[in-house]
Amino acid sequence: MRACLVHLIVILFLTAGLAVAQDAIPVSAPQGLAETQEVMPPSVADRDQPDQPLAETPDGSIDSMNDEFTEDELLEEYTAHENKEEKVEMADPLEPANRVVHEFNDKLYFWALKPVARGYNAVMPEPARIGVKNFFTNLAFPGRFLSCLLQADFGGAATEAGRFTINTLWGLGGFLDPASGGELKLQKQDTDLGQTLGVWGVGQGFYIVWPILGPSSPRDTVTLAGDYFLYPVSYINPWYYWFAVRAYEEVNATSLRIGDYEALKDAAIDPYIAFRDAYAQYRFKKIKARKAKLTSSASDSLLPAHSKNIPEGGTP
Amino acid sequence: MKNPWIRFILIAMLLLFTVPVYAGVPLDSVKKSVNDVLDVLRDPKLKPVSATEQKKDKLRVIYKSMFDEIEFSKRTLTRNWNNFTPAQRTEFVNLFEQILENSYADKILSYTNERVEFYKEHQLSDTQVEVQSKIITSSKEIPIFYRMILKDGKWRVYDVVIENVSLVQNYRTQFSDILAKDSPDKLLDVLRKKLSKK
Repeated sequence: MRACLVHLIVILFLTAGLAVAQDAIPVSAPQGLAETQEVMPPSVADRDQPDQPLAETPDGSIDSMNDEFTEDELLEEYTAHENKEEKVEMADPLEPANRVVHEFNDKLYFWALKPVARGYNAVMPEPARIGVKNFFTNLAFPGRFLSCLLQADFGGAATEAGRFTINTLWGLGGFLDPASGGELKLQKQDTDLGQTLGVWGVGQGFYIVWPILGPSSPRDTVTLAGDYFLYPVSYINPWYYWFAVRAYEEVNATSLRIGDYEALKDAAIDPYIAFRDAYAQYRFKKIKARKAKLTSSASDSLLPAHSKNIPEGGTP
Repeated sequence: MKNPWIRFILIAMLLLFTVPVYAGVPLDSVKKSVNDVLDVLRDPKLKPVSATEQKKDKLRVIYKSMFDEIEFSKRTLTRNWNNFTPAQRTEFVNLFEQILENSYADKILSYTNERVEFYKEHQLSDTQVEVQSKIITSSKEIPIFYRMILKDGKWRVYDVVIENVSLVQNYRTQFSDILAKDSPDKLLDVLRKKLSKK
């Protein structure tokens, strides 16, 4: 009985210690913090008011409005299994030119693409438009297949090959997508050559807005060229047939997402910056996800994310 | 049970596994809010166009309890928050909230027959969790992640990540671009103008 009591006391101390150690994590996050300093622009890293006490209301709860912002609150950017986060922000040396092209694309959308897509929307029922989208997605198979191969993602390449065969033969040439449903569950591998370069370690570079084609970067511009050659539609002769088919594909795709562009633009304080940031975040996380997929398929014994979060954080 | 070590290990395991008490709570709370929103959107009594304002009022109540708008504002301003006076902070939070409401209300009201699936809870830190969900429409799936923070015993959303794009970060880039050149007063002015344009 006495032994049991002693054990209990020991355990209580242990758990108390554990709780204290856990509390300490956000403050002392070992490797993470060193990286934190890097990400912050140096000018703001030395803050003017370092340790403002927490403002408390009479009832003892924390008054968020008067509470100062502290560095620890950016913890969200350092996820459990990823202590180092590269800067998601994109350099923009071409800003003045980019803004002009951005305006042009914006007008193109509101004056040409949107009205046409609206009209098309009215005459084509949604299932047909989804079918057309599937058809073009199926046609773009070579680009995704090659990207998977170049990333040494053989599972992904096999999935793509299977999808292409099944959807072409049993999906009426690609209009239906039987491969992703039912028991097959072969999902489209969302990848391209730009992501492949990203996985290989090529940096994003700076921001470019191309007329008509929209947001890009030097790395993703390579994709535009590479995917052009891997996309069967590009080989349509003469060129104006190719152009017509591409324009139709674009109108069809737009008809399925009218309103998305407007919502993001409406909500933005500076739409140009909002789209630049959205593009940077989107590409960055896509590539991160591809990298994660590749490493996790290489070593299946990865621990679940949150179990890594707790133990090693105790001592700095 | 003779061996005291077995007893020790058993009790230790019991205590260890009771540590993450809140597992599942953030997911359930955001799921409930989203389902409440969907109920309002699908309510046949609120179908007519004349009931739009009524719908908006009901939605406002839901998202006020769901979102931590001060945390949201603070995170978009980061260190700039400290340069705002308390009065400026209050005004900023209010203006920002109205801008978001104006621009997203119509988008949300247009949803009716979409399905929402909650599938994962990912722990970011002791008091922060990312709840992962997706909206399934007839033509696509849109991943939406809610980042939540525990304050005063309540889990509330401080960031929404739509298709890999974090709203907080998106606004952070925009605000820091403005505040690098201009004062907090100027930023408030920009927000006021944006609101009055609507």
